[in-house]
Amino acid sequence: MGRRKKIVQECETLMDAPDQIRNIAIAAHVDHGKTTLTDNLLAGAGMISDETAGEQLAMDTEEDEQERGITIDAANVSMTHEYEDENHLINLIDTPGHVDFGGDVTRAMRAVDGALVVVDAVEGAMPQTETVLRQALREGVKPALFINKVDRLISELQEGPEEMQQRLQSVIADVNDLIRGMTEDMDDVGDWTVSIQDGTVGMGSALYKWGISFPSMQRTGMDFGDIIELERADKRQELHERTPLSDVVLDMVCEHFPDPLGAQPRRIPRVWRGDAESDLATDMRDVDPDGEVVLMVTDIGVDPHAGEIAAGRVFSGTIEKGQELYVSGTVGTNRVQSVGIYMGGEREEVDRVPAGNIAAVTGLKDAIAGSTVSSVEMTPFESIEHISEPVITKSVEAKNMDDLPKLIETLRQVSKEDPTIRIEINEDTGEHLISGQGELHLEVITQRIERNQGIPVITGEPIVVYREAPTSESREVEGISPNRHNRFYMSLEPLDDEIVEQLQLGEATMDMPELERREALMDAGLDKDTAQNVEHIHGTNILVDDTKGIQHLNETMELVIEGLEEALNDGPLAAEPVRGALLRLHDARLHEDAIHRGPAQVIPATRDAVHTALMDAGVRLLEPIQDVRIDVPNEHMGAASGEIQGRRGRVDDMYQEGDLMVVEGIAPVDEMIGFSSDIRSATEGRASWNTENAGFRVMADNLQPETITRIRERKGMKTELPEQIDYF
Amino acid sequence: MLSFVGLGLWDERSVTVEGREILRNADRVFAEFYTSRLMGTDAASLAAHHGVEIEVRDRAGVEQNPDPVLAAAEDGHAVFLTAGDTMISTTHVDLRLRAHERDIDTRVVHGTTASAAAASLTGLQNYRFGKATTLPFPYAHGGEGVPASVSDAIDTNRDRGLHTLVYLDIKQTRAEYMRADMAAGLLVDGYEDALGVAVCRAGSPDPRVEADRLSALAEGSFGDPLHLLVIPGDLHHVEADALRTLAGAPDDITEPR
Ligand SMILES: Nc1nc2c(ncn2[C@@H]2O[C@H](COP(=O)(O)OP(=O)(O)O)[C@@H](O)[C@H]2O)c(=O)[nH]1
Ligand SMILES: [Mg+2]
Repeated sequence: MGRRKKIVQECETLMDAPDQIRNIAIAAHVDHGKTTLTDNLLAGAGMISDETAGEQLAMDTEEDEQERGITIDAANVSMTHEYEDENHLINLIDTPGHVDFGGDVTRAMRAVDGALVVVDAVEGAMPQTETVLRQALREGVKPALFINKVDRLISELQEGPEEMQQRLQSVIADVNDLIRGMTEDMDDVGDWTVSIQDGTVGMGSALYKWGISFPSMQRTGMDFGDIIELERADKRQELHERTPLSDVVLDMVCEHFPDPLGAQPRRIPRVWRGDAESDLATDMRDVDPDGEVVLMVTDIGVDPHAGEIAAGRVFSGTIEKGQELYVSGTVGTNRVQSVGIYMGGEREEVDRVPAGNIAAVTGLKDAIAGSTVSSVEMTPFESIEHISEPVITKSVEAKNMDDLPKLIETLRQVSKEDPTIRIEINEDTGEHLISGQGELHLEVITQRIERNQGIPVITGEPIVVYREAPTSESREVEGISPNRHNRFYMSLEPLDDEIVEQLQLGEATMDMPELERREALMDAGLDKDTAQNVEHIHGTNILVDDTKGIQHLNETMELVIEGLEEALNDGPLAAEPVRGALLRLHDARLHEDAIHRGPAQVIPATRDAVHTALMDAGVRLLEPIQDVRIDVPNEHMGAASGEIQGRRGRVDDMYQEGDLMVVEGIAPVDEMIGFSSDIRSATEGRASWNTENAGFRVMADNLQPETITRIRERKGMKTELPEQIDYF
Repeated sequence: MLSFVGLGLWDERSVTVEGREILRNADRVFAEFYTSRLMGTDAASLAAHHGVEIEVRDRAGVEQNPDPVLAAAEDGHAVFLTAGDTMISTTHVDLRLRAHERDIDTRVVHGTTASAAAASLTGLQNYRFGKATTLPFPYAHGGEGVPASVSDAIDTNRDRGLHTLVYLDIKQTRAEYMRADMAAGLLVDGYEDALGVAVCRAGSPDPRVEADRLSALAEGSFGDPLHLLVIPGDLHHVEADALRTLAGAPDDITEPR
């Protein structure tokens, strides 16, 4: 029997022993060594040959990832590891390190119970370390720390034991500060800080495959002194053999990360809002393989032979071929064609995958990343929380007309795989719009279409997605239907930032039971009467129905909402999405007969009311902004900060870190287009930099008219600004 | 001057003599056919028959942009035509009010209308009709099945022993006209055994009137549009006779109460 076959069989046995399963993710700032570490773990588990680990990059399965040297799609692998005489099945989900792909990270976190946070010993905790850690903790995933590239402290920086100790302690302290801050308000977890003594911190070199931890020192008798000596003497192979990295890390995983039996009772209430008293809730808390099937899909991949593959965490029941399963948000059922587990970039078909495991399922044609798939109809898992909204758009056109249908299909596929991508198909012009998290995000997606699908495309310049938001309260305004027999009276207030943020995170949605939604809104700061009358939530906007006993309003409300959504999707200034508006419906006059208050009457009436209210509320254009951090040698510091300031940006801080200067600030996304090549030439390629979406900011009044006109022109709208808009 | 002239129910000959004279002498003639239409003719034949030019306006051209009509009425004598009567079951009183806002004189020349035909063809007494209602196509009212306003109207009327005239949806731009069997089918849920009267092609040379249980009407087929549906309340004995004799109502459900 081949080694691989044997591992598959081992996995199949372990699948039924949830106490021996660990579902984990590795999360790190870009380049801190996640991919290298993953390959090491696979090699340690015998999944790939020892010699090539580190070069093979088994997780970077997409061609463009290997080329760029960054990990883009969350991929899945399973491996086995013996710990304290017991075999363990470790399901590992790789997550992208670049923050442009934040949606993938959040989704991966939902499927796992433990997150190994990898931090570069030289660089320390970085902005994305914070982001991914936050994403993990938000999902109730327990952290442990691996400090990587310790070899560089010894060989490159020539640090002695004391200096090293200090540096490692300060990395641990920084990470613990983050964990403490983020878990403070979580009453379902205890102390999740990490420490060397507890064994929740590992250190080592993913590149040279050695590692060390408090338990490993006791087991191998190797301490820091021995390690420094061997590393200095260039005896890395010996180091690897005497204290292999994979043992240190995988032991830590088995010992300190919860198994599904321990994790699910705590995590289910955090990630699922259904009835806690139901049988289904019990099935999931108990990880019951005989319960109803519940699969939370975290990723959709495409296999050239098998087609679409839905990967996700089985929370209860056992998935088998031939089952008819419901997919949240769609009608009817899908038939399971095959089930499997992952091995490196490959999928191994198995007969069944029980609760507690990560499964790969084909046949779920309606599933998208984020779907809940189940054997009974159920409350879906909380909508996956998108920490960032799309901020940038590009047009994509097929070079050859013949490719048009294929391109449309591919675009639809792309948005299924990555819900942080939004697609707008325009079959009339053939010019489709694709929106995402950043310039790189879109670049990767379009290259993937060209290369993997072989569709040559023409892409437009990247376009920034703006928002429109009210700045003050409006008076009560009137929306009149075209036949003038229906009138709606509304007013508008800007929502507090806190509430907008909660809505954006999906903390209060129309899918939730009413009582819970009301509580979530009140927690965010909405007063009780208002929270009680919430009729609809659209994006980060709320409709409140303050009317009483108006005849026929009930059956008209659907149309009111339709008109409202149209008005909010295309704001009055430049048809950009509206953000943070609370609309109150005070009164409505309706025609007696349904035919005279149909869609042609009610939709325009509400749309007008909403737009008039927005204009009365001083609606302004908001632009997305990014936090920018540049690490640069001293002599280029001026050029680097100039790059921020020259982009309508603001430098907030400059400080020394090691031998480099760090420049921190913010700048509008619009001005950041093309930043990567400009900063390279301004600093002779010596700068490394990082950006992160930091929400939206009201544009300066003097820039508003020209920006609005530019957008309107681009969209083929009338260029004169709507009446009642006064900027000066 | 703006004259509202109802064209009556069927074709170019359904207008009153007075209406005909006014429209032939007008400076400009406007019409709308989105709320209803004459099934026995079309706008071109109508214009040819009367020897005038008719400017047909769509919904937006009446509701959102009535200016050309009003301007013509300021400059001379404009006529505004609709099928039936211009003020019954339409929303054109709004146009008349707008004319008054601009100090334009108006007058109304009546046409016979579906609500009159419903009483006169069925033998149901016009005194005993309650609130009328329109049954929209399910896709058109943003909900499912029958809107509450329709069932409310029927229920309230029936509680008081009154008849309900149910207008059936017309989607003129899509040439879709709800038929009595479809309407009966939509109402079967909740009114299965209730008596209904299908009134078809009122005003034409061969109108058809048929009374039966809604469940039976739902299975029927009543030919070309336009159709109406009446849900009778309590029947006076003459009304019951009329439904049996003129509309083929089964004996067992038309016993006077
Ligand atoms: N010196 C040293 N380099 C490392 C170590 N781990 C990773 N690297 C290098 O750091 C770079 C980024 O590693 P990679 O695994 O792709 O990082 P990822 O972006 O987090 O997946 C690569 O050039 C690796 O060879 C380590 O332990 N020591
Ligand atoms: Mg990588």
